[in-house]
Amino acid sequence: MVNFSIDQIRVLMDKVTNVRNMSVIAHVDHGKSTLTDSLVSKAGIISAARAGDARFMDTRPDEQERGITIKSTAISMYFEMPEEDAKEIKQKTEGNAFLINLIDSPGHVDFSSEVTAALRVTDGALVVVDCVDGVCVQTETVLRQALGERIKPVVVINKVDRALLELQVSKEDLYQSFLRTVESVNVIIATYHDEALGDVQVYPEKGTVAFASGLHGWAFTIAQFARMYAKRFGVDKAKMMERLWGENYFNPATRKWTTKGTSAEGKPLERAFSMFVLDPIFKLFDSTMNFKKEQTTTMLEKLNIVLKNDEKELEGKALLKTVMKKFLPAGDSLLEMIVVNLPSPVTAQKYRTALLYEGPLDDECATSIESCNPNGPLMLYVSKMVPTSDKGRFYAFGRVFSGTVRAGLKVRIQGPNYVPGSKNDLFVKSIQRIVLMMGRYVEPIEDCPAGNIVGLVGVDQFLLKSGTITTSETAHNLKVMKFSVSPVVQVAVECKSPNDLPKLVEGLKRLAKSDPCVLCFTSDSGEHIVAGSGELHLEICLKDLEEDHAQVPIRKSDPVVQYKETVQAESSIVALAKSPNKHNRIFMKAMPLGEELSRAIEDGKINARDEFKARARILSDEFEWDNQEARKIWAFGPDATGPNVMVDLTKGVAYLNEVKDSCVSAFQWATREGCFTDENMRGCRFNIMDVVLHADAIHRGGGQIIPACRSAIYAAAYVAQPGMMEPVYLVEITCPENAMGGIYGVLTRRRGHVFAEEQRPGTPMYIIKAYLPIAESFGFTGDLRAATGGQAFPQSVFDHWEMLPGNIAEDLKLQELVKNIRKRKGLNVEIPPLDRFLDRL
Amino acid sequence: MSNALSGPSNFADDGSSVIARQIETHHMRLAQDDTSNEQNKVKLCRDIYEIDRTVRLIKDRGYKRIALQFPDDLLRDSGLVAQLIRDETGGGVYILADTSYGSCCVDEVAAQHIAADAIIHYGRSCQSPTSRLPVIYVFGKQPIDVLDCAKSFDGIFQENKNQGVILMYDVVYAHCIDELHKTLTEVMNYTNVVKSRVETESNLSLVLSENTNRACRSGAGSCCAESTESTEVNNSTCNIGGQSCSSGGSCGSNSQAETATQGHANGCAGDLPLTTQGQKEHRRRFGRVYDLPEGANIEDYSLFYVGDESPTLSNIIITHSKCQTYSYNPVTKCGRLESAQVNRALMRRYFLVQKAKDADIIGIAVGTLGVSSYTTMIKHLKALIESKGKKAYTFVMGKLNVPKMANFMEIDCFVYVACAENSLIDSKEFYRPIVTPYELELALSKSREWTGDYITDFQQLLPDEGMVGVDKVKISQHQLEAASDVEDDEGNSDDEDDRPHFSLVTGQFKQSRRYATNKEDTKELSELLETTKDLTLRNKDTSVARLMSSAAGEFLAKREFTGLEVNLGETPVELAVEGRAGIARGYNSESGYETREIEKY
Repeated sequence: MVNFSIDQIRVLMDKVTNVRNMSVIAHVDHGKSTLTDSLVSKAGIISAARAGDARFMDTRPDEQERGITIKSTAISMYFEMPEEDAKEIKQKTEGNAFLINLIDSPGHVDFSSEVTAALRVTDGALVVVDCVDGVCVQTETVLRQALGERIKPVVVINKVDRALLELQVSKEDLYQSFLRTVESVNVIIATYHDEALGDVQVYPEKGTVAFASGLHGWAFTIAQFARMYAKRFGVDKAKMMERLWGENYFNPATRKWTTKGTSAEGKPLERAFSMFVLDPIFKLFDSTMNFKKEQTTTMLEKLNIVLKNDEKELEGKALLKTVMKKFLPAGDSLLEMIVVNLPSPVTAQKYRTALLYEGPLDDECATSIESCNPNGPLMLYVSKMVPTSDKGRFYAFGRVFSGTVRAGLKVRIQGPNYVPGSKNDLFVKSIQRIVLMMGRYVEPIEDCPAGNIVGLVGVDQFLLKSGTITTSETAHNLKVMKFSVSPVVQVAVECKSPNDLPKLVEGLKRLAKSDPCVLCFTSDSGEHIVAGSGELHLEICLKDLEEDHAQVPIRKSDPVVQYKETVQAESSIVALAKSPNKHNRIFMKAMPLGEELSRAIEDGKINARDEFKARARILSDEFEWDNQEARKIWAFGPDATGPNVMVDLTKGVAYLNEVKDSCVSAFQWATREGCFTDENMRGCRFNIMDVVLHADAIHRGGGQIIPACRSAIYAAAYVAQPGMMEPVYLVEITCPENAMGGIYGVLTRRRGHVFAEEQRPGTPMYIIKAYLPIAESFGFTGDLRAATGGQAFPQSVFDHWEMLPGNIAEDLKLQELVKNIRKRKGLNVEIPPLDRFLDRL
Repeated sequence: MSNALSGPSNFADDGSSVIARQIETHHMRLAQDDTSNEQNKVKLCRDIYEIDRTVRLIKDRGYKRIALQFPDDLLRDSGLVAQLIRDETGGGVYILADTSYGSCCVDEVAAQHIAADAIIHYGRSCQSPTSRLPVIYVFGKQPIDVLDCAKSFDGIFQENKNQGVILMYDVVYAHCIDELHKTLTEVMNYTNVVKSRVETESNLSLVLSENTNRACRSGAGSCCAESTESTEVNNSTCNIGGQSCSSGGSCGSNSQAETATQGHANGCAGDLPLTTQGQKEHRRRFGRVYDLPEGANIEDYSLFYVGDESPTLSNIIITHSKCQTYSYNPVTKCGRLESAQVNRALMRRYFLVQKAKDADIIGIAVGTLGVSSYTTMIKHLKALIESKGKKAYTFVMGKLNVPKMANFMEIDCFVYVACAENSLIDSKEFYRPIVTPYELELALSKSREWTGDYITDFQQLLPDEGMVGVDKVKISQHQLEAASDVEDDEGNSDDEDDRPHFSLVTGQFKQSRRYATNKEDTKELSELLETTKDLTLRNKDTSVARLMSSAAGEFLAKREFTGLEVNLGETPVELAVEGRAGIARGYNSESGYETREIEKY
């Protein structure tokens, strides 16, 4: 039964120093949800017997069926630590009771956005790594995201049972494999080192690495064993911990510690870790799995493990499970590690404020966040929406960073586009109710102080996916989350019966809400588009749409990818376009922006809203722009932020400032809908070389300038070797050597190319890294499985835009592609000729 | 096909296309006989332009001043026609030269310049009901090979001779439709072919309003006499219903209106099913009436259209999107399926609805001054827009074109009030989308939902009841209340209103801005003026902040260029320099000037 009450939790919520907000992150199938079960069972929410099989945090039926996590799920748990252990905690705490808000996140790369949303509201992360597979691509991705949000990691090396039972490794090999894993994690951490966060590398000897078997429900840290042995050896626990890892050996003959692998007589010594930590475990495994009854009994006695009567009947694996669970219960070790090593909100918000808050760091909100002040102005970030049992309604799931949120409180709901001082994207409403998210159910609470994670009722109608909730009128937004995946794969959906359309639209709205990453919109041709990060993501979204959100039968098109139009050289001539009345002319040249700059703009490093002088400096320093030209950037586009720019290179043109608005509108329009395929443009720079304007204002109005400028942009791009870019996946495939031939075959057929191939040390597995055009990736997983007999597992994540070879104006193959896109979009199939856009004097 | 649905070409990108346009004088019978003698020509002319009928009507009703409206391609015959009519009636006959919107619409405004009693409209017509003047339609008879047409029909429908088919046709082929119908039913044994009828007069009853019944009877009678023989005469009551519907609220001043309202009761339901004594279902669209057997559903019917590609055809396709539509082109003599693209076209329109939903400032572009009750429609739209807190501007700009529309950059979306055939405008060249009144209603009013049915004829959108004799703004208000009923049901409509909606264009939430209406603005202004004394404290940015909450003020604030600035003392003094010389096509200073000059001479 649940061994805590909501009241207990509520009391702890006020003692912020005793709160730990953490997420569990890892590569897919490394055992996050299974391991989480151990923690949940520790809190009594599920029975210990079911831990490891229940996957309690996988709340959806399809999650259970497929055995993967799709949505991140939160749960609050009450945990009491032994008094003496609580003293070891280096940060400020009160008493030995702790509240742990845990979020289990999906590991599949397609659902990375869920991880991002989870990380935002937590301060620490439990990074789970499979001890056989080691650090995988998604481990690195999520770790990088965590560090980017200034979230402190601790590591669990999971599936140790697999190493022992399946691979039958020796103690030393196991140690080496642990060491390698820890090292590769630390390499990643070091790469993304952040001064403000300090050293967050993980060390087993410091207790920040645990070893576990989620399936069997056991786990240990060096600290645990050190405590055990410290008493026996009569040394300090901290000292003991250091001795139990690394190049430390114990000579049983002399009863002396040494750092050399051999004794004075030249006899090889056993590593302390193997001797004191692994040995008992190995012995237990050996005796139980090999049915050595007596040996088992004596060992159990030695370890003070008492079996119940019915448990004594067990044999083999079942017995092993029971024994190990009693010997090294996973819940205790992990929770202890979490409580001791992960920061409390008070600790974490000190260094996270700068990353979280958009406004000045000395205003009342920033200072209040920094001190995690429950009496300050409310600052709450809603990171995602969680569906309620009430169809179409959502809990706004978020973290209180400052102040206290209570039911009935009138708050300002600031959407992602809110700008302080404006009324845009701002709503003033009351919070209806507050709930505590408890995995599969919720518990209503009265109020919630800073540092905690809550669900809000009555906010969902004003926020689509995320936003800031505050009581301060001067508050800026908390920073919008940056996702590592983008919705690059689209399908068009339609309902089978036209009468269901309103339901479909409502369903699309709900779908857009329920997933942090999915994009639902209507294309120009009126098709309803659902865009997701990958095939699996889309599959899940469409299933949700059909079964839950819209509840009408739908038809879907084949998945398609977006392309981008671009230019590959400077315009061969200065393109001229005249206004409809022929009284105004615009002279324009296009040139490539360069991949680095395009990326910098996409990543927000160079921003349309930057101060123009500062931006000009960066452009001239890092991207070799002329400083004067860099100051004359008129606009970024499309949507005023995209990776295309328009630069004014005219000299002394009268009335130029009058037509700037019209030109910018035309530029936004043209970069949003390129002239060949109606797709966005990317990486183009348009230089306005000269402008001739009519002297009367009425003859140079928007009506004349917008069409002229748009034509000029199209014409300039047309003569600048126009090209197409397609999105490309980075695919990482883990497979045994004999499957590699099949993988190469599949990749080659799909225009993919391998750029890295390496053997995972200590295993027969190879890792292949390849680039694969997303357009060719549909059905890739299935193909790969067929070609390798199910031995290869790909993980694909959008990596970059790749230029297709050739020039649209000449290359027939490219023209074929362009025509296909035009056909799909219902445009006139023929590519418009240049003289549609280019005028002559 | 794509052309047929891409909307009519009633906008010109610039003037040049109008000047350069090649007009097909496809009035072949007259053209072919150019060489033959004058007598023949007159005879033909009498036949094609139905001089006898028009003269009879004019004489019957005693019209004195008559306006003749020809489309561009028939103008060459106008002289002869006018001559013939003048000779026979002795009245004043005027030819209207140019139309302000489209030649399919009756140009009442032009006719009013000469204070005409009636208009005779020649050529293709959109059959939009007019409000002020009696109109006689003369379509001009075009040659058609009825047998070939019937064969083509047979080629399409031979598999199931019981399949319900409605015969539609371009008005210029109206003269042969009975023959076609007869061939199909009697020779080819089709059992379920329904023909539609078009009207050849409108508003004739206006002048003879003293005796409503007689007028209607004779109106209906003469209508039937032309196209449906006199089978319907017995049924005249039902035809009155049909006809008064057709003129919509146009019979404003007429006592007949009461009957009209009844027929109008389900005016909003897309079709107009009228159950009459004859127990037949009448449906009417764009001046076309057709009877369906009792209990029959329009969706079970196929449409067979006689005529070439035209706005009429696109209009029929899009409004009958649930029916299979086939067309037969009498000129090329080929029949084909037309409905294939209709879904695509409808989806595109759906996208425009979404755009309209997101718009904060909406321009009402007036595209007709003739179609009846367009003013009601405009008022209705305006009230609808303002009730949603959005801003409406009204534009009267004649034919639409891209530069004209793009001059109003603050407008997010235009709604085009025009005759049914001219309403569908879809050109991606326009800076802002242009929607039809029906689409705007879909976007703004919750009482309407997108079902795949489509209404191009705004007559069907007009507020249903109490049309006549009630203050029109009030009607709109009433309609609005009805529209917003749904909201009120949900409790606090206040909350509902400022709740953001999910925009399908961007996939984000869109918060609707609420602008103060003009009335509130003026009130505010007067309050402001009252409280303003001789001296007031000026605020920081020297603007009258309260008035800036209007749409225009907001747009101005967003613009980079907000007007000339007087930077006294800041602008350096410069010597005057010689400016540009020459013509706009190429100024003297520009390169290539010399060579061009040489080329020219």
